[in-house]
Amino acid sequence: MIKASGLTKAFRTHSTEVLAVDCAHVEVKPGEFVLILGRSGSGKSTFLGMLAGLIRPTTGSVRIEGIEISNLSEDNIAELRAKKIGFVFQFSGLIPTLTALENVMLPTLFYKNGPGSRISAVELLRKVGMSEREDAYPRTLSSGEMKRVAIARALINKPALLIADEPTGDLDVDTEYEIMELFSLLNKEGMTIIMVTHNPDLVKYATRTYGMHKGKIQQNIGTVSFRKDQRE
Amino acid sequence: MGSRHEFGFLIFISRNLTNRPYRNIVTIFAFALIAATLFSSYYLTAGARQSLDTGMSRMGADILVVPEDYVSSGEAVILIGQPNSFFFGDSGFEKISRIQGVSKASPQIYIATLFASCCAAPVQMIAIDQRNDFTVSPWLKQNKGVTLGKDDMIIGSSVIQNVGNDLIFYGHTFHVVGILEKTGTGIDNSVFTRFEDAYVMADESSLKAVQKLVIPPGMVSAVLVKVDPGILPASVASEIQKQVPGTKIITPNGLLNAVNGQLGAVTRLLYGSTLAVTIVSVPLLGFISAMVASERKKEIAIIRALGASKNYVVKMMLAESFALSISGGFIGIFAAIIILVGFQDFISSSLKIPFIIPSLVSILAGGGSALLFSIVVGGISSLWPAVRIIRSEPYETIRRGES
Repeated sequence: MIKASGLTKAFRTHSTEVLAVDCAHVEVKPGEFVLILGRSGSGKSTFLGMLAGLIRPTTGSVRIEGIEISNLSEDNIAELRAKKIGFVFQFSGLIPTLTALENVMLPTLFYKNGPGSRISAVELLRKVGMSEREDAYPRTLSSGEMKRVAIARALINKPALLIADEPTGDLDVDTEYEIMELFSLLNKEGMTIIMVTHNPDLVKYATRTYGMHKGKIQQNIGTVSFRKDQRE
Repeated sequence: MGSRHEFGFLIFISRNLTNRPYRNIVTIFAFALIAATLFSSYYLTAGARQSLDTGMSRMGADILVVPEDYVSSGEAVILIGQPNSFFFGDSGFEKISRIQGVSKASPQIYIATLFASCCAAPVQMIAIDQRNDFTVSPWLKQNKGVTLGKDDMIIGSSVIQNVGNDLIFYGHTFHVVGILEKTGTGIDNSVFTRFEDAYVMADESSLKAVQKLVIPPGMVSAVLVKVDPGILPASVASEIQKQVPGTKIITPNGLLNAVNGQLGAVTRLLYGSTLAVTIVSVPLLGFISAMVASERKKEIAIIRALGASKNYVVKMMLAESFALSISGGFIGIFAAIIILVGFQDFISSSLKIPFIIPSLVSILAGGGSALLFSIVVGGISSLWPAVRIIRSEPYETIRRGES
């Protein structure tokens, strides 16, 4: 499904070079729910950005369904993202001038003749429990409702992969639970999910867990070792 | 209930525009100003030129010969119908008729009337020699049944009278038999009669009028000349000046130059205003566009993360700019038309220029140019912010927006 090999991202600040991600290897198979745990500044979001082709790696490669994305132009990567990847951000990322339904339909503009349609958008809003609010503008929605709309939007083009960057970071415990249950349901329906979080309590939803610390990635860490890592 | 429309590019653009009303109104106003000033310049110039063409075509002459001290008076008669009386020896007419290249020559006598019952101000009376005339005669041929007989008069469109009415000039009664079409020139403010009746009117004036009219015997005011086909009016004009001393030549081009001179200050002001408005507007619009782009940086980064290409983002920002510039352009042109048509007579008399509403083709060409210019300005002002925004790393922008 997706394979990252030797991914490195270096940022230059003044005279020093900072390695945000240091030679990371990850392979995700179809149907997996992969969680990447790490505290703030560990490089997990940069890593996720490189997986989605939104950040160019300094070295290393990313293959999505066999396609090496570093060989593609930015527009071709954008097209690949529109077709194969659904994205959920930490904040909702809804467009304020569009209704909930229009926000869900937005990615269909970037995937001509794709599977997304108004009917499927309505259906997705029903699935995330937002069918009553399809005409509502984002400013009138709660954080949890916005997140649900954002998840529906990520699914509209029927992507092979759902990438979520701290999707529950700004939510209260109850809403976090509802959202994670939704992710779990999607995974059970066959959706491959890669999620980054700083919350070790979410490990229970994952089929595989990576830890990230100072740009380095560790495979299959346990919750205990992550907590120990956080205390360092 | 959900909204029943499909969601597409145009709806996306319209949502982006309608949800930022105040800033967009300012932008539309700037585009309206640019289009209005540019269109006004074009409209006035085109109206003056068309009026002059129509007027010269009505006069039917390639060259107008006047006494050398009365060039500006002759121009004033033709351009704005400012009443004037002036004369030179009739022998000039005979000489002019014999010059090689002259196809037809027709003498005219110009008489400034006194305040007449017909009009709020004096009008220009033009007496024609029916044997040689080619100013009124073609019109008479087109209007079958109308003849210019004894004491008959044909009037310009601005002389507020009807066919069948009587008009009294210098105590002599004339009968209106026809009204010429509007030309926008001095012809509209003129009345045409025959030489014979003008002389009778002058003879009677000492008894019937408050002021005696003198038409010196054997004198005319101007000679209209039509040149042979294929002959340059300039060469004939030069020959006339050589052979008939004491005369000056007025040509359509010379009149156009005179009009351009009068119009020049106004068109320079209008074109200058357009330039000034554009110079101020481009950075202003660019600044507004950059402000919007900066505000929407995160939004655009999200769109790109969702799969929009750079081209799509540029297309989107240009489309928004074009929508605003087209709306502003139409509003500006429409407002300019209302003002220019509504105050047409006032503008024409204030500027002392001949003026007629330009043809539809001319209006469309002027409107199209003004609209195109607004669109180009809109495109230029939004291009830089669009390019700048797509150069930024979308994910970095999104991450920064989270904190």
